[in-house]
Amino acid sequence: MLFSSASPWLIVIPGILIGLVFGAIPGLQISMAMAIFLPMTLYMDFMQAMLFLTAIFTGGGFGGSIPAVLMNIPGTSSAIATAFDGYPMSRAGKHNLALGVALGASCLGVLVGYTILLMLINPISELVLKIGPAEMSVVILWGITLIGGLSGGNLLKGVISGLVGLLVGTIGYSEAGVARGTFGSAYLLDGVPVIPAMIGMFAASELFRLVKTDYLVEDDAARKVNVRQVLSGFRSALSKPWIVLRGSFIGVFVGSVPGVGSSVANLLSYMATKRKHPDPESFGKGNPHGVMASEAANSTSEAGSMATLLALGIPGGGATAVMLAAFAMHNITGGPQFIREETDVVYAIILANFGQAFLLIGLGLLLIPVLANVVKVPMTYLVPSVLAMAVFGSFGLTGDLSGPITVLVFSVVGWLFKRYGYSVPAAVIGILLGSMAEDSIIYAYQISGGQWSYLLERPLAMAILVMLAFSLFGGHFVKLLTQRVRR
Amino acid sequence: MSVPSASFDRYRIADLCVIVVLAGLVAWYCIDAVQASRNIYNLIFVLPVSGLVLVLCTVQFIVGATKLRRPQTEQEPIAHIVPVVALFAAYVLSLHWLGFDVGTFLFLSVFLWIHGERRLPWLFAYSLVFAALVSLFFSKMLPYPMPMLLLPTAY
Repeated sequence: MLFSSASPWLIVIPGILIGLVFGAIPGLQISMAMAIFLPMTLYMDFMQAMLFLTAIFTGGGFGGSIPAVLMNIPGTSSAIATAFDGYPMSRAGKHNLALGVALGASCLGVLVGYTILLMLINPISELVLKIGPAEMSVVILWGITLIGGLSGGNLLKGVISGLVGLLVGTIGYSEAGVARGTFGSAYLLDGVPVIPAMIGMFAASELFRLVKTDYLVEDDAARKVNVRQVLSGFRSALSKPWIVLRGSFIGVFVGSVPGVGSSVANLLSYMATKRKHPDPESFGKGNPHGVMASEAANSTSEAGSMATLLALGIPGGGATAVMLAAFAMHNITGGPQFIREETDVVYAIILANFGQAFLLIGLGLLLIPVLANVVKVPMTYLVPSVLAMAVFGSFGLTGDLSGPITVLVFSVVGWLFKRYGYSVPAAVIGILLGSMAEDSIIYAYQISGGQWSYLLERPLAMAILVMLAFSLFGGHFVKLLTQRVRR
Repeated sequence: MSVPSASFDRYRIADLCVIVVLAGLVAWYCIDAVQASRNIYNLIFVLPVSGLVLVLCTVQFIVGATKLRRPQTEQEPIAHIVPVVALFAAYVLSLHWLGFDVGTFLFLSVFLWIHGERRLPWLFAYSLVFAALVSLFFSKMLPYPMPMLLLPTAY
């Protein structure tokens, strides 16, 4: 049915476009797009509904990178690392190249990710079941290592930023049922709204700094929209398959862990690529490999989260939660039984995503030249317009004025952090992981009865700890070893 | 371009103030958490992380006071930033009364005026069209009512 008839594909194109638009508008989320259009799937059969929703997912995965590259606003938390190098590329007049790289890595990532899923759906689901709170705590410790690595110049300030972010992420009701750090405000009982805080720290604070510049790209000649450069960027992503492959593997496996997903996968992939690069100092200053690594991982993590959804019936995040709702609307329950009994549907969903990746190439190449024109808008107009969009978007995320107020507060915090050398990305990652870190440590404490030796009984946790130690001290160890051998 | 010597002392003092404020906020949060409940589930994460931050802040304060490095990039003058932050704060904090439609129109108009746009018809037309279109788009797309002064809303 999938390849014998054109009708399933007719809903894929609008799906990808909806995803692209919702991903590209800061504040509108992929999960929001899927929720808004979920009722439409009632009029479709299950396969069509899945095609439509995964098309929104695929389009949104790349769409989030567009504002990250052009305006330093990660459209979603999964595009944080895309902004690290994408935005400096834009400021240097390489916005066409950066968008092409992002599109190439995204499309290739989707293809690789679903290929991995096609081959490894059962082993992945078994692995996911072995990840308990102890492993999650260690993964988050690994995240803290990343935070240290991301801080660039001042490691101490970078770690402080990350730890303060972790604490901010725990504001609100605790597991003990008491509220902390809320200043008595009912808005903060559920915690600090993460995405508005991220928009404030990344985007609004940067816009404050840009008020006296004329254009996003200072060089007049570099402001042109150049389809050749977009294509060149696209090709360059294809010419570095190892970066995309590494990002894809990280994306699939990290993406399949519920609650972690693409927001951590893109950072892990970015850091792994930075460590392997001969010139790691060029990262954060406009290295296209950084964009490739991040986009490959975040687009692949879609496949990872689909693995958990299909194999275990557990949604990894907002978008897959909406898909689970679509399962329920069609009286279908995900999980091992679903994989056994509806194998043809599972493989059809996976194969359909290959087609979606190719459609995304065409639609992305058509849309990028239109969107890249944002660099031609004078900053006098761009700054207030983007600030206003951030305010609208943050209201859309929270449903009340706590979103816009969060953007305001964190824009000032972000500006102060940048001015005095603290790491904004580290703080944002901390805010993202804070409540997850606390929950994991509490669950690990409950399971272990407070015994540290419990950790020794968890081989996966130990393996991650070894990797963590290696990523912290591995470089120094190898250097020491090389010096000894030379002597 | 590095920061000129004359402003470096002010930068150093501001840098130390930032670390003191951060440490103060963390200490307050830790005390607030302890006062809320001494249950282990409430403090198992917050207490050790807060302690670690306070230790690191102390180290950073000493480092900052004795051997702070000059920032490598030129710092934007605060005088340029403060009016924008003040205007943005006024916009956000007045949304409840002015609504997204009128609030956005006024924010854009005043911002453009402050930053040198003197073509009044263009200034008003852009602010009006942007505010109206974006307000309408979001009010139609979002499943909950938005505060508006002129456009229809169930807020």
